[in-house]
Amino acid sequence: MNKILNHNKNIIQITIRNYAFKSDLKIKWVRPEKIPCYKPEKSGDLSPFPKINKSEYLHEFRKSKELETADENVKRLFTLEFNSRKYSTQFYNKRAMEEVKRHEFDTGSIEIKLARWTGYIRAWQEAMERFPRNKRLKVKLKEVIDMRKKHLRYLRRWDYKKFEWILENLNLIYKPSPTESTWVTRKGSLVKLTDKYCADIKKDKLEKYRYLLEAEQPAFLEEKLRTLQFIRNEQNDCGVEVTVSDDEINKVKQLLEELKLKRTPVEEN
Amino acid sequence: MRLPAANKASMLLGICVPSLKQGASKFKIKRLELDSNLHMYFTKFEFVYAHDPQKQCKTGDIVLIEQLPQKLTMLITHGVKEIIYPLGDVTCPLTNKKVVASKYRDHIDAINKVYGERPGAFNYKNAPQRGWQEDKKDFSHVDTYIKYHDDGTEQPYAV
Repeated sequence: MNKILNHNKNIIQITIRNYAFKSDLKIKWVRPEKIPCYKPEKSGDLSPFPKINKSEYLHEFRKSKELETADENVKRLFTLEFNSRKYSTQFYNKRAMEEVKRHEFDTGSIEIKLARWTGYIRAWQEAMERFPRNKRLKVKLKEVIDMRKKHLRYLRRWDYKKFEWILENLNLIYKPSPTESTWVTRKGSLVKLTDKYCADIKKDKLEKYRYLLEAEQPAFLEEKLRTLQFIRNEQNDCGVEVTVSDDEINKVKQLLEELKLKRTPVEEN
Repeated sequence: MRLPAANKASMLLGICVPSLKQGASKFKIKRLELDSNLHMYFTKFEFVYAHDPQKQCKTGDIVLIEQLPQKLTMLITHGVKEIIYPLGDVTCPLTNKKVVASKYRDHIDAINKVYGERPGAFNYKNAPQRGWQEDKKDFSHVDTYIKYHDDGTEQPYAV
């Protein structure tokens, strides 16, 4: 009879329409704010474009002997302060490239390329903050970011150690693109959140059960120790063959001590 | 139910794919399946978890995995036997020299010496083992996802 009832229940459950199902769970979904692709959070740049000392000479003239003996006003005209922003970016790029260069005349190695692109990206990101409606710059910036990411991917395949070294040196984060790239939807997100909620409940329950069992361990071991000693004594008294060895008892004792040692710091807290 | 083909073979060659499982790595195994109607083979991928307590395998490595005599868990059925091609650390099979893309490392070093080495440049001898930036700056070991929920906590694996 019960079987038939259960069977009927299953049929009823199947026939319940579930397309308009609304969950009772109190899960609040917050749509993440859209971050534009050119922002450092997306591009993986951990450090921004630094403040550059404007009293430095232009890159081409930094070793000029004529400038050393020139007039103060002329000297100032050749500093970054009196030249366009392009030269400041160039100055920063050259300095970043100097640090990762393979040899003195290196201009085209992958390290140099990555350093140069990183310099441009950081400079343009700052420019985008000031002129958010500059569409040409935005497109250019996105292209360079994607190119740098592609070449980082290549470098990882060619030379993993160098890849890690360059990430550390240029202060970049590399995240591979996700395998599933679908847009964020309310329903899909809620399904994922519900799955996560269920998994958490399961994990919590298992953890609680583990604590419960662990709490019973010392009492069980004490009982075991007592029983083993009792059996041993009885066997000795009756003159029968002793089946409980000293090792067995010592092992239990050791386990008990270890458990007690583990427990004490937790109880103090 | 038909068993997956991967369960029949005792040894397999797989490509490591990102997974967050502790003590095990996930492998993608390529199989060719015959379509009897078209008389053509089509690629099929099977996924297998292999026991790897030190997490030696990085995403993209080509690894020889072996079936365990007993399943460790429901998922972990194989064990890592040997990393055959570690990603980004290629050795030329003919000369046994290290290779970067299409050049030998020795040749690159020789060119650097001619032009004058720089102290700050990358040095293979002093470089730490690969994986030291894992979870810090290099997130290629995880399957990233598009951020779908803003719960105020930091989500390092979200894109």
